[in-house]
Amino acid sequence: MNNNRYKILVIEDESNIRSFAKTILEANDYQVLTADTCGSGIMMFSSHRPDLVLLDLGLPDKDGLEFIRTIRKQQESTPVLVLSARTGETDKVEALDLGANDYITKPFGTAELMARVRAALRISQYSSNPSLMPDGKFKLHDLVIDYDRRIITIAGEEIKLTQTEYNILVLLARHTGKVLTYATIIREVWGPSDDGGVKKLQVNMANLRKKLGEKPGDNRYIINELGVGYRMCEESQE
Amino acid sequence: MKLQLNIKDALFTIITLLLLLFLNIWMQDIFDTKTLIPMIFVLGVFLISLKTQGYFWGITASLLSVLAVNYAFTYPYYAFDLISPECVASALVMLIVAILTGTLTTQIKKQEKMKAETEKERMRANLLRAVSHDLRTPLTTIYGSSSAIMENYDSLNKEQQLKLLGEMRQDSEWLIRMVENLLSITRIDGGNVQLTKRPTVLEELIDAVLIKFRKRCPNQAVEVEIPEEFISIPMDAMLIEQVLINILENAVDHATGMTELKLSVTTKDTFALFCISDNGCGISADRIDKIFTGYLDRDTSPADGSRNNMGIGLSVCAAIIKAHGGEIHAYNNSSGGASFSFSLKLEP
Repeated sequence: MNNNRYKILVIEDESNIRSFAKTILEANDYQVLTADTCGSGIMMFSSHRPDLVLLDLGLPDKDGLEFIRTIRKQQESTPVLVLSARTGETDKVEALDLGANDYITKPFGTAELMARVRAALRISQYSSNPSLMPDGKFKLHDLVIDYDRRIITIAGEEIKLTQTEYNILVLLARHTGKVLTYATIIREVWGPSDDGGVKKLQVNMANLRKKLGEKPGDNRYIINELGVGYRMCEESQE
Repeated sequence: MKLQLNIKDALFTIITLLLLLFLNIWMQDIFDTKTLIPMIFVLGVFLISLKTQGYFWGITASLLSVLAVNYAFTYPYYAFDLISPECVASALVMLIVAILTGTLTTQIKKQEKMKAETEKERMRANLLRAVSHDLRTPLTTIYGSSSAIMENYDSLNKEQQLKLLGEMRQDSEWLIRMVENLLSITRIDGGNVQLTKRPTVLEELIDAVLIKFRKRCPNQAVEVEIPEEFISIPMDAMLIEQVLINILENAVDHATGMTELKLSVTTKDTFALFCISDNGCGISADRIDKIFTGYLDRDTSPADGSRNNMGIGLSVCAAIIKAHGGEIHAYNNSSGGASFSFSLKLEP
């Protein structure tokens, strides 16, 4: 028995979904805890300190968003992966803005679930251990961001970016793998009082993606989550 | 809206009455007789009752007509004589014409509304029947295969089990697509629901569509041609995404012999024109007219229980584009294969 296994808490009221998630996670050598209500989820969370939470939003006692609110209020940075039904972008945006790290739309396959779980765990490792990004540089495929000299290169060629484009790219890179909503990016890049809105971000992003040589359907660096936000790819997602 | 209608009705009433008045004066000169005059006013009252809303304008017109006839065309000329029995009688006739016509038109309008309602109800019932029927087939596979595996776990070899499981997964994926389409329909059903249109960047939309499509059909390449410049289109992105994916998947499923699949977007004046074309077998002549309504219009299910070839997907596309105020068309290319195109309004 390996005691260093990651602990994953699954909060989901549908017993069949809970059961298949538990099975596939255990088969991949994770330790799985389950809860079927928001209340018991919060209790399990504080007594077992899991490394990752899989959270369904439609819970019988309280909205799943309540769970995110509660644990984020306690300054917990544990990654939360939301299992969302396809009702629209708004609930995804709300969950992300409250502090969820990522979402998977139901119905999902096991391959997708495992990829997201691995990604979320890797990110939390990065952020708790910044030394994994040595020498003040960010690398993704052939893209390198040199934070000290503020220079972007792709395969050694320097890419000229405007100040805003650079800021957006750095923000996404600092949160690699995490979906950042439009509102979050606007707040971080232009400040809280900006009223330029999503359009300004979309125009800048279109230019940035073009400069990075992204083509529709073939994104090497930045993934666009339609109607929600953007996310920086991870090395291993290819 | 109501006020506008009333102004329109009032204008119609006044113009009609004035026209008839001049017609009468002119006819009086030509034919030198007065017998036609009341008939022409009755015609006017009838027309007004027919074309305006409710009873108000019809009754107003009949009273005005009586006054006009009384004032201008009967003795004493150009003076009112409202107590003569002749005047009262003609007023009564005019009123009855106005009220009866009004009642009749209101009834006809009510019937038309009910007919539209019944038609909608019929479509909904057809949809429900078609969907329930189509759901049964994959459910049979999933239920049957899983029972087969559980009950014969030891006698089935690994290969057989994997085959059954694979079929279960395939049919589940079909069910997922079906449910996504149904969800889209319920989002726009009723016609009154205002779509949540947000400005969506064209390049991002196409990007999302391609990624989703590749997940479902990894072996089919899509050639993309979109304008270089930044284009933002107000739309319900989730629904338009569904439209594009449905059309692409339709090509994969039905365009036999297809080697090329192309998605292009062009802008013209205030519209963005989306076009998906393939070089497959094209659409047969007996299908092409009903390609967007086929799923809802069939009254009977295929007797053999086979899955409907006219999938729900294209009907959903048509409904979504219609809700966006655009148009969708399907046609065969002169060079072979089929094309689907639809238009969306650009940002003003």
